[in-house]
Amino acid sequence: MIALSYYPGCSLASSSSFYDRSLRKVLAYYGVALSELDDWSCCGGAAAPTIHQDLTDVLAARNIALAEREGLHLLAPCSACYARSKAVSLKIATDRATRDMVNQALAPLSCTGSVEVKNVIEVFMQYVGVERIAASAAHKLGPIRAVSYYGCLLTRIMGVPSSDDTEDPTGMDVILDALGAVAVPWQYKTECCGAGSTITDRERTAELSGRIMTMAVRAGANAVVTTCPLCQLNLDLVVHLRKNAAALPVFFLTEIFELALFGAIEGGGRHLISADDIERSIGAPGGDHQ
Amino acid sequence: MIWQASPVFRIRRPAKDLRAASGKSIDIIEIKFKNKNLIMPHPSFLDEIEKYSGVTVAQCYQCYRCTNGCPVARDMDIVPHRVIAYIIKGEREKVLSSKALWTCLQCITCSVRCPNGIDIARVIETARRLSIESGLAARRDTRFFDGLMIDSVERHGRLYELGTIMRYRLSKKEFFKDAALGLDMIRRGRIGLAPHNIRDRKTLRAIIREIREGTGK
Repeated sequence: MIALSYYPGCSLASSSSFYDRSLRKVLAYYGVALSELDDWSCCGGAAAPTIHQDLTDVLAARNIALAEREGLHLLAPCSACYARSKAVSLKIATDRATRDMVNQALAPLSCTGSVEVKNVIEVFMQYVGVERIAASAAHKLGPIRAVSYYGCLLTRIMGVPSSDDTEDPTGMDVILDALGAVAVPWQYKTECCGAGSTITDRERTAELSGRIMTMAVRAGANAVVTTCPLCQLNLDLVVHLRKNAAALPVFFLTEIFELALFGAIEGGGRHLISADDIERSIGAPGGDHQ
Repeated sequence: MIWQASPVFRIRRPAKDLRAASGKSIDIIEIKFKNKNLIMPHPSFLDEIEKYSGVTVAQCYQCYRCTNGCPVARDMDIVPHRVIAYIIKGEREKVLSSKALWTCLQCITCSVRCPNGIDIARVIETARRLSIESGLAARRDTRFFDGLMIDSVERHGRLYELGTIMRYRLSKKEFFKDAALGLDMIRRGRIGLAPHNIRDRKTLRAIIREIREGTGK
């Protein structure tokens, strides 16, 4: 049994709550227990840096302090949470001025940056392992031809060693392959979906997300897979943002696990772009697809 | 500080006089080098950016790699490598009033690709704060929306997505902009209707307020 602390983040607590349920269910299946940080708060995401540098550090530090109290490594399933927590945790560990500042602001909570912040792909790779993933896939995922979409914040964190290749990450592709799905190679793994301007500048976001979808279709995929709730929602919204947009269902990586392990996904109804066709195409356990 | 008056580089006249003489809005200094008088930009803006961002901007050698990788460079009035060049040249007003600062999506592609390790995204983030503070910001939507998000965190401890977006739309008088999209999201259960209040929100609120009311950058 492996125990990790985690905080779902604001997206997984509301607009992508089905991702939270899916994540817990799949990790529990593999014996990874998640203990939710008690009374976690927003990490400040992309909003805090525009307001004040100290706010960025303090908001992220609060969750890090809570995690250190638990004494467990911290899983941050949302890419924005992950990037922010990872960068600030390292800053607290290495920069005394920052450490003193956040600890003064947060007292009686305190942190030293000792906790390791991990993303979903890392957790599957390190605590479950590719071989176990491959052995556990009961349902044939042959009909799924997926492009893995990592987005900006999973591999691009300045000053922090990346968990995967910065320009051409492969972790998710390896997992998809192990689950029996076809991981389709493409060029847009780490392109920006424009989530930062969905509300303030919709046209720009529509263009960026639309381009990613078009590229996924051109690559010959029938599904997009991601681990970031902002990317998922933004790509899922493409049908509203753009007229006649190419539209493939956008899955969370844990939903592909659900399909492989259980043959069905719980949060299917939550997809704005229907995922039903893909779900129906999955074969019975052990049986042949075709 | 990379510019320092050494026995070779010596400031001959105060910058103020020269600025008046040159009729330019940028600060310049005149230095004597091997019996020649050279005029170069005064590094005050460069210092300001480097100090608040912690990034050594002056290492840029204009390879254009940041601009080449930028997904929104074509929408920018000043492309990323030019932003850096203008900072080095001391063009404070030009940089801080540019729309480009607000076109940037903070995707960090420029920063991870820079051969000199210059965190360009962070430089832009710092310039955003300076531009707001100096009253030069060309677009205010991003900062306004970010402010609403932090308001929400201040109130609840977590972001209340629906409330924040509604406040933004109401203030812009865009009452129906998200109607179709919003209905679909509600139908699919993709919108949290109620805010999440954390227990310790009073403490967190005090912390956030203190930082927001401070004057730091």
